[in-house]
Order: sequence, then structure tokens, then C-alpha cells
Amino acid sequence: MSDLLNAEEVKAQIEAGVPGSHVTVIPNGSPSGQHSLLLDNEHAFAVASFLRDHPALRLDYCSLVTGVDWLDTETTEKIRVKKVVDGVETEAEETRKTKVPGYLEAVYHLFSIEKKHGPVILRMRTANRTGQTQLPSLTPVWRSCEFQEREAFDLYGIVFVGHPDLRRILMWDGFADFPMRKDYHPPADGVPVAEVHA
Amino acid sequence: MSGISEHPWMTVVALLIGAVAFGFAPLAMAWLWARFFSPKKPGAIKNATYECGLESKGDAWIQFGASYYLYAIVFLVFDVEAVFLLPFAVAFTGLSAGASIAMLVFLLLLVEGLVWACQKGVLTWA
Amino acid sequence: MADDLKELKIELSKNGIFTTTLEELYNWGRKNSVWPLTFGLACCAIEMIATTMARYDLARFGAEVFRPSPRQADLIIVSGTVTKKMAPQVVRLYNQMPEPKYVIAMGACAISGGPFRDGYNVLKGIDRYIPVDVHIPGCPPRPEALIHAFMTLQKKIEEQALAGENRPRHLRADLPSEFEVPEFGEHGLEPPANPELFPALPGNPLKVLQ
Repeated sequence: MSDLLNAEEVKAQIEAGVPGSHVTVIPNGSPSGQHSLLLDNEHAFAVASFLRDHPALRLDYCSLVTGVDWLDTETTEKIRVKKVVDGVETEAEETRKTKVPGYLEAVYHLFSIEKKHGPVILRMRTANRTGQTQLPSLTPVWRSCEFQEREAFDLYGIVFVGHPDLRRILMWDGFADFPMRKDYHPPADGVPVAEVHA
Repeated sequence: MSGISEHPWMTVVALLIGAVAFGFAPLAMAWLWARFFSPKKPGAIKNATYECGLESKGDAWIQFGASYYLYAIVFLVFDVEAVFLLPFAVAFTGLSAGASIAMLVFLLLLVEGLVWACQKGVLTWA
Repeated sequence: MADDLKELKIELSKNGIFTTTLEELYNWGRKNSVWPLTFGLACCAIEMIATTMARYDLARFGAEVFRPSPRQADLIIVSGTVTKKMAPQVVRLYNQMPEPKYVIAMGACAISGGPFRDGYNVLKGIDRYIPVDVHIPGCPPRPEALIHAFMTLQKKIEEQALAGENRPRHLRADLPSEFEVPEFGEHGLEPPANPELFPALPGNPLKVLQ
């Protein structure tokens, strides 16, 4: 497998190389089969350094940093519940709704220029979408992340802890919103149509 | 009839005055038009320093770093030297001993500058 | 000009006598020396550049001299998408141009925001902040369309009156030459449009050409 590294193998290497780290493989069902690795935020920096410096992997180039916004979701499932009604045990169906809090995700695509292989795809997830949107910055590991992490901060509001220069990059400094979030609505800027055609 | 009008340069003078007037007349007309007919509308933004649409910061009169004298010296050594060397080389066979010595002294001064710049590490890339 | 005077003029020209008025002469000079600002914003600018080159040759209309400074320009061709981050600069450049000054909004983006209208950082038309004389639709408009817009502008300049109530803005001291530069706000530009200019209702004296 020269161009696609096996995600399971990389996961095994990471967990052997960085003690305490926890990696989840997120499968990709599409024909490209680019499975990604979800890192735990605590060890993400150590894992990134490990991937860069490992003699067999040598993932020395981060080509892409993307933000993804996952909204709060609600799952409904039907559960059979046993109930005791009037001393008789009956089975009844109940729908249970569970709220899954949304999160922001940062996706990193790594390649090795030295070994000519890749990509290895890393993901990191924030705790939620509103208050705790911190993720460790991987800019100290890959310099090419600097502007792209700034972009993810600008448009999604992911705060990269450890970034050397975390400022807005596309929007102006006084801007308050995060335009690429799914619940963002641009200001109407509007003048009523009736007024224009009056 | 002999007078100032007979002077052989008179035609040239007349043409010169005509040429200058031809150039200045439209400018004068434009100035007069602007002076008497167009309303003046100066404003804070209109009179501001032009900075490609951005607000200009600070003054246009700023101090340049004194270290730019290095560029001047290296420019002299490589550029001006070439300007003088070419006629020197062309006329070399016909030159007297004094002229050759003068030129060599000039070259020596410039080479001195080059050696000095070289010692300072100006010529080393990065 | 009164109709009988116009007839007299035509009659005279049939007999080989050319007559003109100061107004016609003045406007003839102005319309044939409209100097645009060297100013491009997006892909429309490529078409604008093509218009000035040999094949389309805007020089035929006296507009070959693209001035690199707004102090010397008469026309600003807003060629392309105006982002909200760029809009203050466009307005400031327009403000720095001397009167009389004209604006051609070139392409779908410059006139309305175009395909990016619902984007978070695209201005929904430059006529929210500066008075536009000619709008050209198209994405991007072909050079012929820009030439057409230019000829439309020339026709409008030709018809401007030197005196009277309908004289253009640059001859009226009471009308402004500068327009408010929008500022970066928390959610977008402040204000979202210049209320003096937008919407451009008929009869607004700030429209240069009625």
C-alpha cells in the first residue's frame, strides 16, 4: 500500500508509540476508502510529533486543515420496556429521544514527502459548539498549518491553543460571527423590495 | 530695412514663442475654466494622502536606515566602475602613463570598497 | 436647445457651415477623454484589460490612458466582486477622484453581488455606497458589453447641461463630492447602505446622470 496507509496499522503504531493515547478509526465507506483517525485532544500534540518523527511514517507535510461543523442532533430509538400493569407484566414500546451535543471538528491531511506516501487523516473534536471550542494547535509540528488553522478559527471559531498568532485571517478583526458554521445567517443588508420599486 | 526683424534667428524665436503658447494655451484655458466655472469641493478624504484606497498611516517623510549606505557603496563598485572602465579599455593603447596611473588609483579606491564590503559579509548570501 | 435653432443648425450644415455651442464643444471634449482608473477587482478585470488591448481597443473612444492615481481619473470601472473587506477602499478611491467622476458597475457581482449575493463577505452591489452611472450585466460581460457601456456613458456625458436646474453634480456646489466610507461592524458593514444613495429612486439629485 504505497499511497494509502492502512489506518488500523497507523493506529496500532500510534498507540504503541505514544503511551496513554487513544485513537479511534473512523471508517470512510466511499470508494476512496480514506479512513481517518480520531485523536484524543490531550495526546494529539504528542501523536502529531510522533507521526512526523517516526522513521517509517515520516509524515513531514500537512497539506490541509479543514473545519467541520456538526450541529446538535437528536436521535430517536424505540425500546421495548417491560412494565408491570395491574400485576401483569406487559411489554410496551417507548420512544426515547437522546440529544447528542454538536461539536466542531478539525481535519488534518498528512503526507510524507520523504517516503512518498499518504494521506493520513487526523481528526480532533471539540467538547461542544459554544463554550468549549479549544483544540491543541499542531502548528508547532507542521508550519504549514499556521494559516489554515487561522482560517478554521476565523470561519468556524475553533480556538487552537498553542497557535503562535491566532488572529482572524479573512474577516476583519472586529467581526463577531463565524460565517461557515451551519447556523450562521448573513445579515439581511436589505432594503425592502417594495421600497425599491416604489 | 535693417532692424531686429531682419535678424536670422528671428524666425526661430517666433516659432519658439508659438510652440510654447501652443502648449500653455490649453492649460491656461483649463485653469481659467476651473477658476471661474467649476465649484470647488475639497474634503477630508479627497485631500488625504493617496494610499491605494487605504487610510494612510504616519507621515510620508520618514527616516531611512543609515545601513542603506552599503547598497550605495556596492552599487558604486559594480556599476560606476563599469561605466569608467569601458572608455578606459577602449582608449587604453593611446593613454599616457599619468592617465593610466590615475585610472589605477581610481580602481584601487573602488577595490578597497569591495574588499571592505566583502570583509563585512555583505556579499555573502543569507 | 430650442427646435428652431436645431433646424437652423442643420440647415447651415447642409450649406457647409458648421455651428456649435459652448455646451456641445465642452461635452464633446469631455466625452472623448474619459480616463479610467487602473483598478480591477476580480475576473471582470481580465475582460476590462482585454477591452483596452489591440483587439477591442478602447483607445478609439479616448479612454486608453488608465491612470494609476485617482487624482487623474474620471471614471472608475468597478470590475468584479466587491467584498465587504474591499468596499471601504473602493469608496475611498471614488472619493479621492476629482469631479466630474463617473462609475461603471461591470458584471453581476458589482451590480448586485451576483452568484455570491448570499455569501457572508460579498457586498450586494456597489451602488449601495457610490452613485453608479452605467450598470453592465454579465458574468463576466464581454468586452463588447463594456464598450457598449462606455458608449452609453459618452452619450450621457454629451447630454449634460452646463447650466440650469438639471446641470450635473460636478457643477453644483450644494451636492457632495464625497460619500460616506462604510466601516467594519460586528456583523457586516456599517451602515449596510448609504441612505442618501440607496435605493436609487428616480429624481435623486445625487445620481450624476438622470
